[in-house]
Amino acid sequence: MIAAAAWVCLLSPLAAVLAIALGGNRLPRRTAGYLATGSTAVSFVAAVAALIATLGHTASHRQTVSTAFGLIETNAFKINLNLLVDPLSLVMMLVVSGVGSLIIAYSIGYMKGEDEERRYFAYIAFFVFSMLLLVESANFFLLLVGWGLVGLSSYLLIGFWQERPSAIAAAKKAFIINAVGDSAMALALFLLIQHTHTLDFGGVFNQAAALGANTWLINLVAAGLLVGALAKSAQIPLHTWLPDAMEGPTPVSALIHAATMVTAGVYLIVRTHPLFEQAPHVQQTAAGLGAATLLAAGAIALVQTDIKRVIAYSTMSQIGYMFLAAGIGAYSAAMFHLVTHAFFKALLFLAAGVIIHALGGEQDMRKMGGLRKRMPRTYIAMLIGTGALVGIPPLAGFFSKDAILATAVSGGAYGKVLFAAGIAGVLLTALYSFRLIFLVFSGEESELVRKSMAKHRGGEGPRWMMVPVATLALLAVVGGWIQIAGLWHPFSSFLDAVAPAFGAEPSAAREWLLSAVSLGVVLGGLWIAWAIYSAHSQKAPRTPAVLVEKLYFDRAYDLAFYRPAVWLAQRLGSWFERPVIERSGDEIGLGALIGGRFSAAIQNGLARSYVLLVAAGVSVIVLLFLVLR
Amino acid sequence: MLGPAIAWYLVVGGAIFAIGAAGVMLRRNPLIMLLSLELMLNGANLVLIAFARRHGSLDGQVFALAVMAVAAAEVVVGLGLVVAMARRKIELDVDLLSRLRK
Repeated sequence: MIAAAAWVCLLSPLAAVLAIALGGNRLPRRTAGYLATGSTAVSFVAAVAALIATLGHTASHRQTVSTAFGLIETNAFKINLNLLVDPLSLVMMLVVSGVGSLIIAYSIGYMKGEDEERRYFAYIAFFVFSMLLLVESANFFLLLVGWGLVGLSSYLLIGFWQERPSAIAAAKKAFIINAVGDSAMALALFLLIQHTHTLDFGGVFNQAAALGANTWLINLVAAGLLVGALAKSAQIPLHTWLPDAMEGPTPVSALIHAATMVTAGVYLIVRTHPLFEQAPHVQQTAAGLGAATLLAAGAIALVQTDIKRVIAYSTMSQIGYMFLAAGIGAYSAAMFHLVTHAFFKALLFLAAGVIIHALGGEQDMRKMGGLRKRMPRTYIAMLIGTGALVGIPPLAGFFSKDAILATAVSGGAYGKVLFAAGIAGVLLTALYSFRLIFLVFSGEESELVRKSMAKHRGGEGPRWMMVPVATLALLAVVGGWIQIAGLWHPFSSFLDAVAPAFGAEPSAAREWLLSAVSLGVVLGGLWIAWAIYSAHSQKAPRTPAVLVEKLYFDRAYDLAFYRPAVWLAQRLGSWFERPVIERSGDEIGLGALIGGRFSAAIQNGLARSYVLLVAAGVSVIVLLFLVLR
Repeated sequence: MLGPAIAWYLVVGGAIFAIGAAGVMLRRNPLIMLLSLELMLNGANLVLIAFARRHGSLDGQVFALAVMAVAAAEVVVGLGLVVAMARRKIELDVDLLSRLRK
């Protein structure tokens, strides 16, 4: 039952991909959208069925492995095509298929009238399949396959508008940076194969302690996995692709670059926590990089003018919180934040998409303003999303973010530092989020708004777009209630069977105290944002160059990698390719001509001379046999 | 073992084969070349049968039978070609029959 549900969940989007791809022009455009949405909804139903069946078992038996057949079999080593259903993968399956089906339904409205709607829906259904493969796989090999395939679908969807050079450049950037992570991860897997002779999660984790005896080895393995996670989750120093990835359609940003794919790194760390716990330094590095990212991204978000880029930096910052949590062993807190973040960040992106759609593709916040009266429902959705993001009770982010901060402050000196970064991040979050709200919704109506609204005659968006937004708004409100500190904690006890937290558990009283502190910080940030931005356009603060330049990461990579590579290629071109390779062409041709003339002489057309040659050859062979025997 | 030692058979077989090979290489008349080819095959057949007797197995004899069948087929084609050439008054000289090369 559980196994069947897992297979249905995985294969249903793939079936939609094949149907859309094979259907081609015979398929009406709408049908492609319905197919993609329906198949993902089927996945969601299957995931719910698997969840219910799994909850029927006792906590220690909630793990099902289903093997289809062997993929690679040698004497010492075997890889199966097998799926794993346990609490951790169930959480991910539900998020991916649930949020996924909402966002794909939204894109039926958003992508209406695009020339290549079918291609879009085939890609996005393929993404859902790849992501489900990633989270359902029961071994590192399939995990890596899914890891690569989500990277591919992300590349295809970022570059969906192929006629825009900036979209193509962004797609390539995302693919290349992810390739760095993928290869680091593959190297880690080779080490695992060499030392454990298996790639099954269970088999590897059973030998985690033995691997841990070899400090170098375990650190290398964990570092390889961490680099993979950093690249996929856009954490410093491999984060530069995510803001550029906003070149893709907005639903893609919501699904891939906010709710699901970019959180795969968090999933990876939680899934492989037995390895990371054997390499504590690497795990602490993950937490530190998460803290650095949440601060840096929060600061950069303050000066961005593109509405989607603000939300993209916000995503990086929130994933920083998840890395921080996973790095200090608070796995269920990390996963909890992953789930609530999927709700409210998808909501923010989709609401931003409604605005962009209504304004005819304009993304510059400086040209917006005064949208509150024109788009009241979008305004409410955006307010709920922002409230959940900054952590205003009783919205989702309040519960999940404070769980992370409370765990951090309970964990020694390093934990205190991380906590300080986290609280500073809360202030930054409040600042940039309310800056966005004030710039877009309050103040006078801008010229652009008046013009586009005159065209639309007031409507906010088609029903296909507004219903998913409303659903996500509801989820962003209630999503946090599955876990309330001190009162009940079904979520963490559900996950504890897979990833028990290590380190100090914060007490409920401390958690509530911290919630009060961070709420105070949020209100402070709200007040500052109101004071600076609500006046709108009259006294916009100066923007520090270091933030506008995104902390110089792109420049540094340009100098460190791109320019040397171009220089080397040019030098090789002038020193080697043109003199050696290009000019050798003539000589190779001449050599072939001369050789041909010689061998043509043998073909003289006299049958008897051919026979003579055969006889001579046979005699030589016979003589060789006789002599060499 | 009946009859002479196997070396005699090998010598005779080898001699027939060598005569045939020399004929194929030296003669220009396709009819004679075909005859020489038959000689080569029969030399090989003799050796096969001699070894079959020596080892007491039927394999060599069966193989010799197969060679004869192939040789018969080959002669049918070869003689057919020679007759066709003679009918068209083409001179029977393989050195002149090299049009395919050009």
